[in-house]
Amino acid sequence: MSPVPAAALLAGLAAAALLADRTISVAVIAAVLLAVCLRAPRRRRWPYLVGTLASGLVLFLFSPLVAAYGGVVYWEGPTIPVIGTLDVTSEELAEALFQGLRLAAVGLAFAAYALLLDQDRLLLAGGRLRRSVLAVALATRLVPTLERDASGYVEALRGRGVAVAGLRGRARLLSPLVAGSLERSLNLAESMEARGFGRAGRTRAPSPPWSAWDHLALTASALVVLAGVLWL
Amino acid sequence: MALARIEELAYWYPEADRPALEDISFELEPGEVVCLLGSSGSGKSTLLRALAGLVPHFHGGQFVGRVEVGGRDTRQAKPSDLAGTVASVFQDPEDQVVFTIVENEVAFGLENIGVPPARIRDRALDALRAVGADHLAGRRTHELSSGELQRVCVAAALALGPALLLLDEPTSQLDPDGAEALLDYASELGCAVVVSEQRPALPLERADRVVFLDRGQVVLDAAREAALRWLAAERPAFLPREPVQLDADAGGDLLARLEGAAFAHGQRLLRVPDLELRRGEVVALIGPNGSGKTTLAKLVAGLLEPTRGLVHRSGRAAYLSQDPGRYVVAERVEEEVALGVGGDLKRARAALEPVGLQGYEHRHPRDLSSGERERLALAAVLVTEPDLLVLDEPTRGMDPERKLELAALLRAQAGDRGTLVVTHDLLFAADVADRVVSQEPMVVAVHA
Repeated sequence: MSPVPAAALLAGLAAAALLADRTISVAVIAAVLLAVCLRAPRRRRWPYLVGTLASGLVLFLFSPLVAAYGGVVYWEGPTIPVIGTLDVTSEELAEALFQGLRLAAVGLAFAAYALLLDQDRLLLAGGRLRRSVLAVALATRLVPTLERDASGYVEALRGRGVAVAGLRGRARLLSPLVAGSLERSLNLAESMEARGFGRAGRTRAPSPPWSAWDHLALTASALVVLAGVLWL
Repeated sequence: MALARIEELAYWYPEADRPALEDISFELEPGEVVCLLGSSGSGKSTLLRALAGLVPHFHGGQFVGRVEVGGRDTRQAKPSDLAGTVASVFQDPEDQVVFTIVENEVAFGLENIGVPPARIRDRALDALRAVGADHLAGRRTHELSSGELQRVCVAAALALGPALLLLDEPTSQLDPDGAEALLDYASELGCAVVVSEQRPALPLERADRVVFLDRGQVVLDAAREAALRWLAAERPAFLPREPVQLDADAGGDLLARLEGAAFAHGQRLLRVPDLELRRGEVVALIGPNGSGKTTLAKLVAGLLEPTRGLVHRSGRAAYLSQDPGRYVVAERVEEEVALGVGGDLKRARAALEPVGLQGYEHRHPRDLSSGERERLALAAVLVTEPDLLVLDEPTRGMDPERKLELAALLRAQAGDRGTLVVTHDLLFAADVADRVVSQEPMVVAVHA
């Protein structure tokens, strides 16, 4: 599938998850997106999946504690200044599940975009927005690049007998990761300028024509958003 | 008429206390192949950047004198305007890649300089074919090995059809066959080529002229034959030569043994050769790009465990990564080295001396040149005094004189440990090793 209709479909699913009112609808959308993400190689997909699912889980676990509504109390805890009495009601749990799934669905849509789409061709389709889309494409690659850098630092440290464990050990990598990103961005900018980036009169390599599946995906993306507004 | 002309060029990087280039004057004729030599930090990369207009436009600093390329003054013409006339390949291929798909990466420059759309794909594929990388066209750039990525970067430059091709250590991560094919192609293109190399034998064979830089100044600018005579008298390490004859006396206790070992990379199961490594011996591992040399090195060092087969290790192992950019975790050079010895700064300072980094103790590791970073990485590993030392491409970015010093250092310490050196540099391998093991690609299975 071409990346533009694929990206539109993912955006449509994310929008539907945000617009839907029913937990079951959002859960189905999240499950579909999770299945899509599982098509990516295991080594690449785990940071995205862990990050997304953990965020959804944290929202599910903690938002009932700070919310204060509902009549069916499952648990009542201590009273905290400013926040008030900690309790968990059935209504809060239902709402937390709904919001957690919503967050997971949006995160999974982004993960599928980052893991499976050819961002180059999205960029090529950007036309006049090329510079902005290029910035987005490079930002998207930041996560896998940082992941590769972190593995490289850990391996180099292990190769010297230095164990990298715990929060403190990993925190030590933060500064070199940030500095390395800045250094790489400078090198990349230099390389781009040397290859004529920013020069007037640029052209564009032709993109392959869209297939029937591409047209179908684009139509489906609009329908999914509509369904999210009206029925889900 | 000269294709490029440099007149009395001097250049200071911002906040530098001494010039990176000083009193440089020379001309380049169309089609001329120039081999640019010099020690690490002598200004070779800066000179190439001046010819591309990146100095001073991109780097700032103080620029004195004049550089003209294709009749255009680089102070007026921006680097992007010179693209197409000039094409550059920089040292580190990982830092040059913009796109995720190889074919798009090569097409990027062609789009920028306004090549008609109908011709872009053909030119990109032709350039990839020229460097033996057409099979990579549809691959993702972040999945390529360093050697494969280097070919892609060279293809991206060649695709522009430049009048002047600037190559900054273009073969540092290529195997000897790949390096020879690339330099053959570059020298037969018909455009002027300036190639800076730390494995100078191949470019010296193909050069019309040799320029030698020392601390930012041109100390030699001569035709090939005269330059070879000068090098023989003044800087013999830069000339091809017979390897040092070793008086090998290996045969200590067994430190590592690989038997039928294989490691799965995704769906590929890569078989590595059986190998024994004993205390007192230095073994060099050579082989083409992608043959699994690094995998073998990591298996020996204990950073990977085999999917199949047996790896026996005894004693403490240390591993030097092929990327010296991984040894910049601490804020100061001495602290970086001390990481491996529990923060012992005294031992760290002592370890800097044999690699020629005394006086650099308080510098930030990121302020070092690529050759200096390689030596820092070496010190960071050597300081741990391992029983088993595994070095993955330790001479990347290192000038020939430093390589000789490193070979001598490893030989001097060889009795204390077993050493495995993975390298594309055959001369270095012959200089340092008691025996050389050749690794051919052996994919024994592809999982469904």
